[in-house]
Amino acid sequence: MAFETGRSPAIQITPRQRWSIAFSHLLIVVVLLLGVNQRDSLLNQTSVYTNISAGVSASYPARWLLDESADNVFRIRDMSHLGFKTTIEVRSLPVGVDGAERNLLDHLSLQRSQVLIDYSVLGYDNFRMPDDSHAISMAYTFVSRDASPFLEGVSSIVNGLDILTIRRGQALVASLRAESSIYRRELATFRRFIENLEF
Amino acid sequence: MITRVLGPLRSALVASILLTLAQPAAAQGNLDRGLERIMRATVFVYQAATEGNSLNVTCVNTGVLISADGLIITKANGILPSQQCAGDTLIVSLNVDLEEPPIPKYRADIVSADAGLDIALIRIARELDGRLIAQGELPVLPFVSVGDSNGVSIDDNIIVVGYSDIGNAPVAFTRGTVTAFLAEPLADSRTWFKTRAEIPGTMAGGGAYNTAGELIGIPTSAPLAGSAAASNCRYLNDTNNDGLVNNSDRCVPTGDFISTLRPIALAQHLIRGARLGLQVEVSAPARGSYPQQSPPAVSRMFISPSVRGAVPSTVVGSLPANTRNLYLFFDYDNFSADTVYELRVRRDGIPDTTFSLPPVRWSGGERGLWFIGAREQAWANGAYEFTLLVNGAAASSQKIIIGGGPADRAHFSDIVFGTLDHAGNLIGNGSILPLGNIAYARFLHANMSVGTTWSAIWYYAGVEFARTSERWAEEAFGSMVISVDPAGDLLPGEYRLELYVEGALSATSDFYVAGVQGSPLPRVFNNLRFTSANSLSAARQGAAASSYPTAIPALYALFDWQRIIAGTPWSASWLVDGQEFFRYAQPWQGRDSGSDFALALPNPPDGNYQLNLLVNDLLLLEQSAVVGIGQLPIDRFAEFQGTILSGKVLDAATQQGIPSLAIVLISENFDASEFVWNQEQVVALATTDRNGEFQFARPLAFDTPYSVVIEADGYIPNFADVFRFDANQPSADITIEMVRG
Repeated sequence: MAFETGRSPAIQITPRQRWSIAFSHLLIVVVLLLGVNQRDSLLNQTSVYTNISAGVSASYPARWLLDESADNVFRIRDMSHLGFKTTIEVRSLPVGVDGAERNLLDHLSLQRSQVLIDYSVLGYDNFRMPDDSHAISMAYTFVSRDASPFLEGVSSIVNGLDILTIRRGQALVASLRAESSIYRRELATFRRFIENLEF
Repeated sequence: MITRVLGPLRSALVASILLTLAQPAAAQGNLDRGLERIMRATVFVYQAATEGNSLNVTCVNTGVLISADGLIITKANGILPSQQCAGDTLIVSLNVDLEEPPIPKYRADIVSADAGLDIALIRIARELDGRLIAQGELPVLPFVSVGDSNGVSIDDNIIVVGYSDIGNAPVAFTRGTVTAFLAEPLADSRTWFKTRAEIPGTMAGGGAYNTAGELIGIPTSAPLAGSAAASNCRYLNDTNNDGLVNNSDRCVPTGDFISTLRPIALAQHLIRGARLGLQVEVSAPARGSYPQQSPPAVSRMFISPSVRGAVPSTVVGSLPANTRNLYLFFDYDNFSADTVYELRVRRDGIPDTTFSLPPVRWSGGERGLWFIGAREQAWANGAYEFTLLVNGAAASSQKIIIGGGPADRAHFSDIVFGTLDHAGNLIGNGSILPLGNIAYARFLHANMSVGTTWSAIWYYAGVEFARTSERWAEEAFGSMVISVDPAGDLLPGEYRLELYVEGALSATSDFYVAGVQGSPLPRVFNNLRFTSANSLSAARQGAAASSYPTAIPALYALFDWQRIIAGTPWSASWLVDGQEFFRYAQPWQGRDSGSDFALALPNPPDGNYQLNLLVNDLLLLEQSAVVGIGQLPIDRFAEFQGTILSGKVLDAATQQGIPSLAIVLISENFDASEFVWNQEQVVALATTDRNGEFQFARPLAFDTPYSVVIEADGYIPNFADVFRFDANQPSADITIEMVRG
């Protein structure tokens, strides 16, 4: 048995072609970089909220649903998330002469325990606001369930965090509520929100 | 109807939205078209008792949602705590799947109830676990329209919807016709509807609907107090904690088959008050002396061919052929809303179900004259026997023969009472006299012969105090006035006159003496006025006014009274914008005279309020006050209509439902491209369940353009622009496919 061995003829490319290939590779890298950049800018795109009467302004993730109804100053929700819609809300509370921050947080807890399933406070902590002022935070958890009685809604475990600070005789509460599984990720969004919150 | 579905906004690859509109069953008529909606609005209500750590069912009812905010009408028996139904919690089961039994979802509170009418209004107020439902958080629930039961005619087709078993059967319906109207003093000729539809006892409290799908009646019956017969009582729970469920436990009464409906018109004031959220608080004076309760009793049963007000025109022993009106009268004593009564009618020895009244709750007062009858309905010839049962035992019976020609018998009729004016004319209202010396009665006589023996017997508080017996010496036909002059003055209270011809009762009527001489009506009540205050004591000190600003804390109506004795039937009727929303009808229980009887209406909305005070159903005094602009907010009575939009969101690749995905419905003022993620642009939000199904929690207005926006992590956004529904679409289903990207 004999084997024939040999080499295929070498492909000769011209310098022009060589440059074209290099340029193509470069273009792909550039487009990829642009895509990543575009994606990041889309993901991090923010909208600005200003409420002159409440003296509050903030920037929040674009394409989150802004709601100024009800008794909040405002509320934003990430409607694209499958599951409990991550919510950030800002509300103001009146403060009595003898009212302390913990009194207000306890008041919130009492109200929530009436309407939230398995509401439970996880703990309190001190919090330093971007302007270095003092605030207090309260972490809590509850179970969220779609309210429609005609659907087979599945419950979600939700983690929440309140940041409460008192200024000029008024308490401002910024709250984050997110599904437990993505809470840590959403906490970063909340921190960026707090950093840009002005009141 | 969908007029246009635009393609995706961002990419031609975005999946299309497939819209499959539910087709109404137009061929089956209006009733069938609305039947699904009616069935979805039909709920099952458990009354349960907290015993240790468990909730045990004590009574059950069907109920009907009559507003989107969870207001339910049902029968009061089984809802109000009682000896037989001693529960403290109301659990509402909703009809989630028409093919399945209802599922407990919420708890409800009693809003208002009338034990006598056997109608209660309850409202969903808590989640099943007892948590309060925050205002506005309750999803918009399906509900039925309340119709006009006064428009119902004999032989009208009806459909009755309810649950045929205790939580173990899907919602059911039965068809029938209205076979008769039964009359009682409550509502003249339409106190009860009779039907041949076979209605199981657990359907009691549900709804009876006309061909337009409107609620016109509530099936109701009363299981006999204390009855635990195996046929109508179920043992569901181990109530004695012996580890067994047997006849040693407390059973849940289901009632027997029902053939009576309570017309919805009788409950309109309850419905109106509940819808407006109006709760009147009555601060009645201390109870005066009043006879002790004894077992209920019935006496003096007789028959009259017609009524005038609530009294018989005459008394007959037979009626001619083609009789169309017949009323069975009787005296009752010691009755209450817990009393169960039943009328059994036999014609020629055979039970006549048309005019029989099955066991029902008592809706009258504690004592007095009552009737059950039928007007403008054919009574076949025959020998009738009427037997009245009270709490399951025969209390009294009466017989009459219908047939033959009219009898030219001597008789009296149409007694009215009053006083004489200076010209000797009888004046007054016929049933209430002021305190005085002499009472006069005028009556008609017919076919009287000279020399016929007749007599008149007067009673006060059930005791005879005057009697005359003479031979007739007047014309055969005409009217006559007689009088009674008691030894002292006429005392306040109940009086009765009986007229006899040849020893047989021929006519009888009652009247009340109350108040002092007025013109033209006795002055029983006076100083009726409205005030606004934060408390009753402040209201009593407050100045009366007829106009108040919006958002007052409470509107008080106060009045004084004089010379009205305990037991006298009186009522207060409160109206807003001409429609009654509250009725307080009780035998008088206070002192004979006094001041500042108060009724309080907290947080009254803008409106024109009027309070009427009546004695023996005669209006004696009224007063009005205006709050705010003097007109109810326009939407307070509104019953919005629209299309219930539901559907399913699928993954285009797997055709599996996508759970927990949000669907945004955009207002008609914007299209999808104009949506900037602001709640002001949003009409409604829905979230898919674990199967990818969703339902918007509010009906969509007809002929209004809507758009849908869906953005979900991992999927290409989806938009549907401008679709609308016409008035023939009570519901619509859409299927939306999402493409991964």
